[in-house]
Amino acid sequence: MKKLYTIGHNVRLAALLLLISFFPAKSFTGSYFDTGESSINLITESYQVNTKDTLLVGIEFKLSPGWHTYWKNPGDSGEGATIKWDLPPGFKASDILWPGPERIPVDPLMTYGYEDKALLLTKIETPEQFSGPVTISAKVNWLTCKHICIPQEGEVDITLMKGSKTIGKFATKLKEIALTIPKNFPTPSRVTEINEKIFLQFEKEGSSNISEAYFFPNEYGLISYVKDQKLETNDNSFSLQLDPAEVRVETNKLEGVLKLKIDETEEFYKLDLPLEGASGSPILAMSLLTGIVFAFLGGIILNAMPCVFPILSIKILGFIEQSQGSKEKLIQHGLIFSAGVLTTFLAISWLLIFLRASGEAIGWGYQLQSPWVVSILIYLFVAIGIVFMSNIVLGSSLANFGSLAKNRNDLLSSFFTGVLAVIVASPCTAPFMGPALGLALLQPGLKSIAIFLALGVGFSLPYLMLSIYPQLLSRLPKPGEWMQTFKQIMAFPMWAAALWLAWVLSAQVGMQSVFAVLVGALLIALALWLIEKTQSSDPFLRRISMLFSLGIIIFSVWLIPFNQEDNSSNLRNEVNNFSDQKLSSLRSEKKAIFVNFTADWCITCKVNEAIALDQDNVKNLLREKNIVYLKADWTRKDQEIASILARYGRTGVPLYLLFPSEGDPIILPELLTENLLLDFLNKIN
Amino acid sequence: MKYLITLLFLLFINITSASVTTDLSAPNFELVDSHGKNISLSNFEDNTIVLEWTNHDCPYVAKHYATGNMQNTQEQAKEEGVVWLTIISSAPGTQGYVLPDKANELTSTRNAEPNHVLFDPEGGVGKMYGAKTTPHMYVIDKKGVLRYQGAIDDAGGRSFWTKNLLEADNYVKNALSDLQNKQEVSTKVSKPYGCSVKYKS
Repeated sequence: MKKLYTIGHNVRLAALLLLISFFPAKSFTGSYFDTGESSINLITESYQVNTKDTLLVGIEFKLSPGWHTYWKNPGDSGEGATIKWDLPPGFKASDILWPGPERIPVDPLMTYGYEDKALLLTKIETPEQFSGPVTISAKVNWLTCKHICIPQEGEVDITLMKGSKTIGKFATKLKEIALTIPKNFPTPSRVTEINEKIFLQFEKEGSSNISEAYFFPNEYGLISYVKDQKLETNDNSFSLQLDPAEVRVETNKLEGVLKLKIDETEEFYKLDLPLEGASGSPILAMSLLTGIVFAFLGGIILNAMPCVFPILSIKILGFIEQSQGSKEKLIQHGLIFSAGVLTTFLAISWLLIFLRASGEAIGWGYQLQSPWVVSILIYLFVAIGIVFMSNIVLGSSLANFGSLAKNRNDLLSSFFTGVLAVIVASPCTAPFMGPALGLALLQPGLKSIAIFLALGVGFSLPYLMLSIYPQLLSRLPKPGEWMQTFKQIMAFPMWAAALWLAWVLSAQVGMQSVFAVLVGALLIALALWLIEKTQSSDPFLRRISMLFSLGIIIFSVWLIPFNQEDNSSNLRNEVNNFSDQKLSSLRSEKKAIFVNFTADWCITCKVNEAIALDQDNVKNLLREKNIVYLKADWTRKDQEIASILARYGRTGVPLYLLFPSEGDPIILPELLTENLLLDFLNKIN
Repeated sequence: MKYLITLLFLLFINITSASVTTDLSAPNFELVDSHGKNISLSNFEDNTIVLEWTNHDCPYVAKHYATGNMQNTQEQAKEEGVVWLTIISSAPGTQGYVLPDKANELTSTRNAEPNHVLFDPEGGVGKMYGAKTTPHMYVIDKKGVLRYQGAIDDAGGRSFWTKNLLEADNYVKNALSDLQNKQEVSTKVSKPYGCSVKYKS
């Protein structure tokens, strides 16, 4: 037993080690080497080998109990072993054939390696000619670790005779390990990134029972090592949901080893897949400067977009009126309005940055995804329309939002007009804006703020110009009776905007909730009418009506639904909910039908919906070919759906059935892609 | 309102979970140094800062110091007026945990030139920065923005023990030079290599 060195806690020793490693001792040492914490043994399937043959050899590591050494990707820390071969001329050694690793957690980190023992295989190819006996030797560097790591190094060799291979005493052991070397995965598989999660999905055949699965990535920076991987098994497929690495390194493929436990046996498979839906989009090619210019132009054009039009009208009214006042005041209002616009854009960009940092998938107009915000805007537009129509002079406390147009010149109202303009503009995308915002969403903090500010400057520029050069306004008619009429006309775009928002709301919540909000809008109208009616009544009556109106308004706000009630699928609006009866009647009408058996908790279903079913091409083709889309939602396990799944030999979702107008249905694969689905849809009729 | 609460909640989660993002602000922290002084990142506004996670008994760290590679990097940093903070996140009783005197002794015997050696025995700062290995390096620019995180150089990998570290491509030096030349840092992230940080469990 030889003990070359063991590194203790001394730096000088480490220096010594370096010296040693620069001048390695070159002597024949035998096949076995022991460092104290671990040993290595060079073993071969046969001590005899012919020319032009392949010989399987291996370095067998034996570690003291509880110690480990690493896989080729060690995970968060450590390092796999290196083997440097010294071979006779013409002999060639393969790279290390790494057996599948195991997980070795070192809280809060995760490492990948082998505990207690490991056998790293190498294939040695012999040349056309050599004369035996020959010595092959290997210099091995490895880490032996427990809580601490000890780098170790040893040299081992064996002598081979020339002749036909025999079956040596290590042959069985080597061949057994050779069987555990990861092989290619036999059935189609894919990897997709959606909303900050990475989904690895595989088709499987037969009823093999997968009880455990884990993916060991080859490279740093794609998958988090320490996070749990969630396995979902379906009838003909299974999915692993992975968390992306805490620190990402740009990549467009995923390589590694998949460990599966199938009916109590462990198997390892090699994976090398292109990463679909990767974030590296062509938008990134645009420079920050171009982004800012585009955002600025987009902001100017945004003023002409339909969703901003009502606000535009208010603002113009305001300008006509104010143009009579002093020039300073006009400039002041223009500046304050711009400040309101910029503040709101800034707030939105901060919000986006925070949400993005917390892993939310977000985009422009996300604030309109909240039914609460949408409902408040509906009330606001209804109210503004009524104020335009009537002669209400609102109390100062309520006035900030309500009296945007008229009667008040205070700066606060200009500021809030700016805020409102941005919020209302948010669902609109003007030309140039799309790519700029795309860039902003992918950029780190400050750059994305710069783009949003450029958008804001562009957006408020026309007003700013008008207030600085009021002579531009002189072309507009003088104020007078006509303004009253104009203001009343402007109530209609307001109400139109409210209608449009109600439609937006109907996509987020159920019909009942939309109805509740419409009742709320009616009550708001009632409250405003009450206020107007009692405007010149005696103080007591006025106070009562004010109080009553306030109660009504509070009640209306209370009516607003808080959460999205159904945001499941984008196909929602076109969805007919599935029932066996509906299917039969459609079948008797000889309609082509596509049925999507899905559930909210089914990962595979959600990925399929995101990358295939919700694609515009698919929706258009369904419409074009007049194929009825039915959705069978199994979120709450329903007996009727279960019995149909059973009819097609399934125990769960997803299941995709495509019924041609006549004949038997086609069962689609469990892992859909857009092209695959389009092919199937094109095939029928 | 609910949105706001969710937002604050998400923000909170974001702070408690590990890792920092390159090109975003580096989070501030305060730790005690080997002379008993409270040192905070915000003490060094307008300075470029290097954070080095260390554990003197880790063989990887030992090789970087034994070959003079770490000191060499510290020297370049010093010449450019960069503040160098060496941080020990080893918990008491684990490898690399040292008392202040020992830390100062290590600095002088190894001819190291950190501005401060900081103790993080609870591991809070290490986890906040997502420090995984020793060494694990971070470079923060004068505006407090994280510009580099990862290994000290490209010598990691399975041939580390046979490499001459002084010939390796030193990512920290590169990042410091890029910042000095007012350029975008060319390598912003690399895979850190070395021993695991011996966090309190």
